[in-house]
Amino acid sequence: MARRRARGSLESEVLAALWAADRPLTAADVVDAVGDGLAYTTVQTVLARLHAKGAVRREPSGRAHAYSPVLDDAGLAASRMQAMLDKGGDHAAILARFLRTLTPEDEATLAALIADRDEVSG
Amino acid sequence: MTAWLLLPLALSGLFGALGPRVALRLPPATATRFLSGGAILAAAASSVSLGLLTLVFIAPAPVLVAQGHWSDHVLRLHAQLAPVLGAAAAAAVVGLAIRFVRVGLRRLAAVRDAYRLADGLSDGDQELVVVDTGARQALAVPGRPGRIVVTTALLRDLDASERRALLAHERAHLAHRHYLHQSVAVLAAAVNPFLAALPGALELSCERWADEDATAVSGRSTVAHALAHAAGVRRAGTPAVVLAAAGSDVAARVGALSAPAPRPVLWRIAILTALLAATAIAIANAMHVTEDVFELAHRAYLAAHR
Repeated sequence: MARRRARGSLESEVLAALWAADRPLTAADVVDAVGDGLAYTTVQTVLARLHAKGAVRREPSGRAHAYSPVLDDAGLAASRMQAMLDKGGDHAAILARFLRTLTPEDEATLAALIADRDEVSG
Repeated sequence: MTAWLLLPLALSGLFGALGPRVALRLPPATATRFLSGGAILAAAASSVSLGLLTLVFIAPAPVLVAQGHWSDHVLRLHAQLAPVLGAAAAAAVVGLAIRFVRVGLRRLAAVRDAYRLADGLSDGDQELVVVDTGARQALAVPGRPGRIVVTTALLRDLDASERRALLAHERAHLAHRHYLHQSVAVLAAAVNPFLAALPGALELSCERWADEDATAVSGRSTVAHALAHAAGVRRAGTPAVVLAAAGSDVAARVGALSAPAPRPVLWRIAILTALLAATAIAIANAMHVTEDVFELAHRAYLAAHR
């Protein structure tokens, strides 16, 4: 069970990296983009699995493959999600809290906290 | 006797006022469990108080006397219940029961719709669903399996370690079933108006719990940055919209992440435990006292009708 969950979360991270990139990524690019000391072979396995599922498409890139995420019926997913959020109340609450407008004071506080943190850690 | 019946209600009010204040400085997983567990107990306590007051109020009615075989005289004598209080308790029982059912049905519908949404978002066991829109959003959709929904706009705003923090945060919501804790709080507040602060407190403690879980994979400063960036702080001038990772009380959460992880402070745990134990004892006592009075009334009835 723990293994399954770990596998699922690795797939999510690779997929997130592909979506965040503005071009198709090779397995080596993904290793860099995900960071966290992932092994090249692990990333290759994850990419192959995502490709088999149809979550990514691949194209030849030199001697390797470059991968990009597939936008299947994400438009449908988006509209379903939005419909549920639009119901508001309990429906929106179940999906975790989101979409709150920050007041200018909130923004100032946040910016100050982040700046403090950077000074301390940097 | 009336005082004993009111005690559980009074203690539930004390928990509603003190609970969030004492619990929210504890490690968030501990705080969440104290708050949602306490919410159940406090809701039970006020229900027992109001229910027993109503019972004692209506029991002397002739119909019930004939059914229950108890002396209305003895009941009245021992209860010393002011009619106004009895009537108010009876009205509260009816009003709160209706509210509980309505709130409960709404929640059930929302959970059912979330499960359907999770089911329809993706085939198979894919955890992450990416939605290609310009709004920065991240959500955890409970279901079997639960899904994490993130928009492309948010993913592109974060670096690798911040993305990992975001995913860990949303995953924590799903893994710890935070929607259940929050539903408990909403239902408890529906039957006990003294618990009105609990849903908000549990929302914050669940977000903090997910933040602390995320620090295990990314470090405190990275989670704080991911939060602030999701909240739109990086781009000054754009309308700042906050979501999932960055929902309620973002400043409070970033503040908490700037400090060391909270420790389980003994006196806070002791206060909460003592308060909840006292509430449980008060519930048992109220039931016991009522039972004694009805026993007495029953014996009197038997003696009079021998």
